[in-house]
Amino acid sequence: MRGVAGDPVHQDVLSILNESHALNAKIFSLVRLKLLASLAALGPDGATYRELKAALDIPDGVLYANLNVLKEMGYLTSEKIIFEGKDLELYTITGEGQDEWTRTRKWLCKFLYCGE
Amino acid sequence: MSMAKRKKVIAFFKELGFQLDINRFDDRLVAQKLVCLLELKGIDLGYPCSMYVRGPYSPDLTRDLYEFHNEFEQFTTESHLGAHEKGTARNLDRIFGLKPILLEVGATYGYFSMKDGCSPLEALTCVKRLKPFYSEAQIAVGISKAKEFLFEPTAKDLEELKKETSIWQKASLRSMEH
Repeated sequence: MRGVAGDPVHQDVLSILNESHALNAKIFSLVRLKLLASLAALGPDGATYRELKAALDIPDGVLYANLNVLKEMGYLTSEKIIFEGKDLELYTITGEGQDEWTRTRKWLCKFLYCGE
Repeated sequence: MSMAKRKKVIAFFKELGFQLDINRFDDRLVAQKLVCLLELKGIDLGYPCSMYVRGPYSPDLTRDLYEFHNEFEQFTTESHLGAHEKGTARNLDRIFGLKPILLEVGATYGYFSMKDGCSPLEALTCVKRLKPFYSEAQIAVGISKAKEFLFEPTAKDLEELKKETSIWQKASLRSMEH
């Protein structure tokens, strides 16, 4: 045990895990991270429900529920649009969502490269 | 550099008669796909596309479209297109006609073929997976437009095509003699 505690990588991991308190634990699910990462890259343009479903290969129930949770947290907004005669739902990341994603991405990258 | 590249894109949009309305989803999509197809055609506009959930896409272009939407909407540019660029713009307009779905399918197919090095069959499969909400017909037409715009036949292709069609041409001429 002393050997592990003295391991610099172990110390780094503990230190990075302690920093995670500044993050919103509710976004730490694979689906929510995928959605935030995808929509953050598109900025104010957003993506439609059907685009997210096809590209991320997420079942309807799971996708809809997670989009709603992110909306309730204030990280996403949605609006109805008409495209080529079809009613579609467009999802866009908010400023708050962008900030949260930036913090989370920074933390995840630090965690991933820890010990390299 | 940032301004020069933006002005060049505006010059292309002007040539194509594409007047952006930033509040319209269709227009933002058309802008992205036009730029992607022009980049794939070898015109360096400074907005390279990468693959996102919406297909080939340039976040840098999105930023400029929003930040400078007045310039795009009013065709504010001092940049002029050369003869080759004008020809490419005319071809793009003739083949796709600013139709959002065809541009989207075409750009996606072109990206998978040219950037990812997919075979025609692999590229078709990827387009169908990413855009399952479009009909078979829309995908087929979009791909055929992409091929017409992006892949110019080589001398060898033309020779083979000539060989392939010459039999039918001869038969057709013979049938006219009777």
